[in-house]
Amino acid sequence: MRTNDLILQTVTKVILFIILLFSIHLFFAGHYYPGGGFIGGLMTAGALVLLLLAFDMKTVANILPVNYRIMTAIGLLFSIGTGAGSLLFNVPFLTHAFTDVYLPLLGKTSLHTAVLFDIGVYLVVIGVTMTIIQTIGEDE
Amino acid sequence: MAFQILLNVFLALVWMFLKVSNEPIDFLVGYFFGLLLVFTFRRFFPSRFYLLRVVAVINLIAIFIKELLLSNIAVLKVIIKPKLDIQPGIFALPTELKKDWEITLLSNLITLTPGTLVVDISDDNQTLYIHAMDASDAEAAISSIKNTFEKAIMEVSR
Repeated sequence: MRTNDLILQTVTKVILFIILLFSIHLFFAGHYYPGGGFIGGLMTAGALVLLLLAFDMKTVANILPVNYRIMTAIGLLFSIGTGAGSLLFNVPFLTHAFTDVYLPLLGKTSLHTAVLFDIGVYLVVIGVTMTIIQTIGEDE
Repeated sequence: MAFQILLNVFLALVWMFLKVSNEPIDFLVGYFFGLLLVFTFRRFFPSRFYLLRVVAVINLIAIFIKELLLSNIAVLKVIIKPKLDIQPGIFALPTELKKDWEITLLSNLITLTPGTLVVDISDDNQTLYIHAMDASDAEAAISSIKNTFEKAIMEVSR
């Protein structure tokens, strides 16, 4: 007995992009405002879970052919690499560097290596959440 | 439709480059002249002039607000009546809308107006099953929905 999920699917196609944009905003807001890699990753994973609820697992795997275990590994490499990078400059492990750069169009932009660390956190959170949900969901 | 809007924005940007300015007011002026050009050559395009569709969207919003107020008052009357003389029921509404987003929009408009609620859609997307607070005059409800929401949505997507 398949119910007709037309309304849910159509609304999902619109809402998904708004949730993802909001999660990106939360990720970049993390330095000066509430937000950051963890909550941004959870929000992105929430958007993907909404996709899983509206469509079936095969469809989502076709839309996003991502191996979430490898994604988790890449995220951990990002975080460890950011920490190990500071050893090259003869400063303690996980020392962050930051600078103000004048970029064309964007004007004065502060670049901080904590963003790279946060990208690692972001990827790990998405990877772990989606792995948990998919492993539970695949139990036929 | 989308192509016309894109062309209009592009013309406005070209206007800004010609004026060598980055003021918002110059964008608006360029948009206005682009609108005049698109209107003049509206027979070039496969779909109709896009401002008509924008007007249809505004019309749909106005109809929705009007229906929302009227049906809220109707539900309020039922609530504060001492005697409960309603006959809840589910009736089928055959719809002529084809596209997914049209059917979704119609269902959400029906659900958001109090007194009626979309329960299910048939597998061929041709029939909506609607739970009504007072289904004694289902024919009237069907005809009223058809004449207001469905007509307005067709105006938008024609």
